[in-house]
Amino acid sequence: MKIGLDFGTSNSGVALYDGHKVTVLPLDRENVLPEVVKTVLYITRDYQAAIGQEAIAQYYRDNINRQRRFVKKWGGEIEYHGADMSYVRDVFVYVDELKPGRLLQYLKTALRRKGFAGTRIFERFYTPGDLAQIYLSLLKARAEAVLGEKIEAVTLGRPVKFSTDLAHDRAAEETLRAAAHEAGFRQVDFELEPVAAALNYELTLEKPQNVVIFDFGGGTLDIAVMRLGGNQREVYANGGVDIAGSDFDRAIIEKRMLAHFGLGRVNHQPEILEMIQAVPDWMALPELGTPINRNLLEKAIRAGFASVQLKALQSLIYNDLAFTFYNRVEAAKIALSSEGAAVISLDDKDIALWELYTRTQFESDIFDYVGQVEKVLLETLSDAGLEPGQIDAVVKTGGSSSIPLFTDLLTRMFGVEKVKDTNAFSSVVAGLAIKASGR
Amino acid sequence: MTFNDKIDEWIKEAETRPASALTILKLVANRLRDLTERNEQLLAENLALQDGTRVQDYQKRIVHLERQLDMLKRQVGDGSSLAALPVEAESLNLLVYNAQGQVFRFALQDNPKTLGRISGELVSDGEFPRLLAVPAHEELLLLFTSGRVSTLRAEDIPLIQGDSFTWEMAAQPDEPHAGEILAALMPLSRLPLADFFLQASRRGFVKKTLTSLAQSILDNHYLGRGTTQKSDQPFDALLCQKGERYVLVTYEGRLLGLEVDDLTYSAEERIRISATDYVIAAFTLQPEQTILCVTQNGKVIQREAGFVEVAKSAASRGQALISPSRLEQGVRFIGAAAMKETDKVAALDAEGQLTVYEAGQAASAGTFQAGAALLSIGVIPATA
Repeated sequence: MKIGLDFGTSNSGVALYDGHKVTVLPLDRENVLPEVVKTVLYITRDYQAAIGQEAIAQYYRDNINRQRRFVKKWGGEIEYHGADMSYVRDVFVYVDELKPGRLLQYLKTALRRKGFAGTRIFERFYTPGDLAQIYLSLLKARAEAVLGEKIEAVTLGRPVKFSTDLAHDRAAEETLRAAAHEAGFRQVDFELEPVAAALNYELTLEKPQNVVIFDFGGGTLDIAVMRLGGNQREVYANGGVDIAGSDFDRAIIEKRMLAHFGLGRVNHQPEILEMIQAVPDWMALPELGTPINRNLLEKAIRAGFASVQLKALQSLIYNDLAFTFYNRVEAAKIALSSEGAAVISLDDKDIALWELYTRTQFESDIFDYVGQVEKVLLETLSDAGLEPGQIDAVVKTGGSSSIPLFTDLLTRMFGVEKVKDTNAFSSVVAGLAIKASGR
Repeated sequence: MTFNDKIDEWIKEAETRPASALTILKLVANRLRDLTERNEQLLAENLALQDGTRVQDYQKRIVHLERQLDMLKRQVGDGSSLAALPVEAESLNLLVYNAQGQVFRFALQDNPKTLGRISGELVSDGEFPRLLAVPAHEELLLLFTSGRVSTLRAEDIPLIQGDSFTWEMAAQPDEPHAGEILAALMPLSRLPLADFFLQASRRGFVKKTLTSLAQSILDNHYLGRGTTQKSDQPFDALLCQKGERYVLVTYEGRLLGLEVDDLTYSAEERIRISATDYVIAAFTLQPEQTILCVTQNGKVIQREAGFVEVAKSAASRGQALISPSRLEQGVRFIGAAAMKETDKVAALDAEGQLTVYEAGQAASAGTFQAGAALLSIGVIPATA
């Protein structure tokens, strides 16, 4: 059996095409949309792994308000070389030995990041390929449980560009291919994600069209200009840029939320400022939870420096609230695609955060990205040798494509009647399933 | 950005998209309602603090907690250890189980000298059968080599009667899944009084887990393998308290003492053993107990609790129980346990015979005088 698998930055999914219709498999019963599995992986101290909502639930169950115990561990040596001397110094790190597990997000971004060898989880080192392999094998197991038979082959989606560096781009694809093989897929092939989204759209066409696929997801923007319909299917040009939903979340936090954690009030304490500025980095935040930082924060709180804000920062770091906080920011961003205002709030131990955030503010915060998106869109059209007027349809897919600012951009360039909405979360996986069927 | 600036931005949004005005109004009104409720709660709390009501509440709570503590102390007795808890002698049972999860339950009411003979193949998946004495109403935790756990009441296992048995007659309450075998049975009823689960692996890895995680462990049916090596497998699990001493004994006669408080929550190699050696016993040791180590020929080596030196380094080689020359002669250990002079010891020999010995007599004679090579032993507490 051969399936289509969309290994997305934020969400993943599996679909099957029987020659007549695409079935996106319900692999996460706990999710609001069971056909969508969040691309998150939780690895426990015993190296047991969980994905999707199960991973999130276990993370919350294990981590919220848990005990901590930091032990100082030898991390390695640093060699110093001076003009006439050299010496070696030991480096120690603080490790929370009661930490029950680690939650990992943006697994696909790790594949794209050049120079990122991997991460240590307790006593084991995981490369980006290892993490992808664990996720894919669990997803495969779920799909096999739903289908009741073994899955041998897969068509995986891939972004137009993992990297602008060709060698790294190829290496990232090979890493993902090896991960899929290790996850148990005997046959693995790839299709560009925007092309996959086009295949699903093509099923609805009665005559050939020039189509722009605008695949704007959690990790990248991928654009494909194609000829679709009838017996013709030709890719005129591909383009892409590393801008997506996670960048917008970061922009919101940097521009609107840091004041809640003391930015603008703490000026002469560089260590604390560093902690505040690390808040937008979801992966870095848990690493800040050391006894030294706790002492620093407590001292500042006792001294009365922005005590409410620093207490909130302390609570964010030491109560493992970072994941919740990021989800609230993302939820507000999604709400702003349909509403004029949304609230980002977090009310927990020592933290009472409330921010009314408007669409005008959001559009102002991400305005710089619009220019970059417009530029790559025009470049891709130019590569295809087409003018906007020669395009018959623009197919939007991916969560970020619903942001009104970008819909307006597409409408302005191509005309409102040409911009087509698809299912933001399943059009790519549906196309991958069609491709997998060999159609 | 000041609060006034924020309000200006809300107004700007309402001017740009008039439909947003209603959304903003609703969100602000909800916030106002929440803040009003919170303000009322804080005012009430402030009043309670000022008029002393809150202080009285806390005093009542302290009295209640002290009463609970007293009850617990009475239940435990003077000693702080788990061993101080009474064991109901009249309902003590001996469990004999193998790697396939097959279990015999023998009654021990009449102080029998022999319990019968198990015929057929005794070694299963390379493991000898294991012996465990527990009260009949004990709750048991079954630990499998995959890290999976399940629970079972001892009295749910049918009592076996007669003189001769085969494994086909044994109960199999939870058949091991593919790729796993039963590693150990662990008494579970003292869980509320214990601080940690302790796990030991065959290759000498030890892991401690907080019993506060017990609910999650039992709900998820997963305690973990307790080792980081693929070729290794879990060997034993037990409950213990803070401040206790944990002892490992190996096949080639190395003994290692560890302070429970020094153990880590991750699986770490605690005893460095040769490639042919492996752990054959793991138990906690109270100061009034002695260590009984038994070789395959039934020879007994007894050591006082004071003999045990606590290993401080990460992976110690442990203390030698016998000289290298005896080791070269082929002497190997099949079991070890913490015991008191008045305890009894059940032993299973290579012919399948299950015999009960007086531990004190065996220790002073220096042998169990078994007819055949011994495979396993299990201590039966003296209160039986």
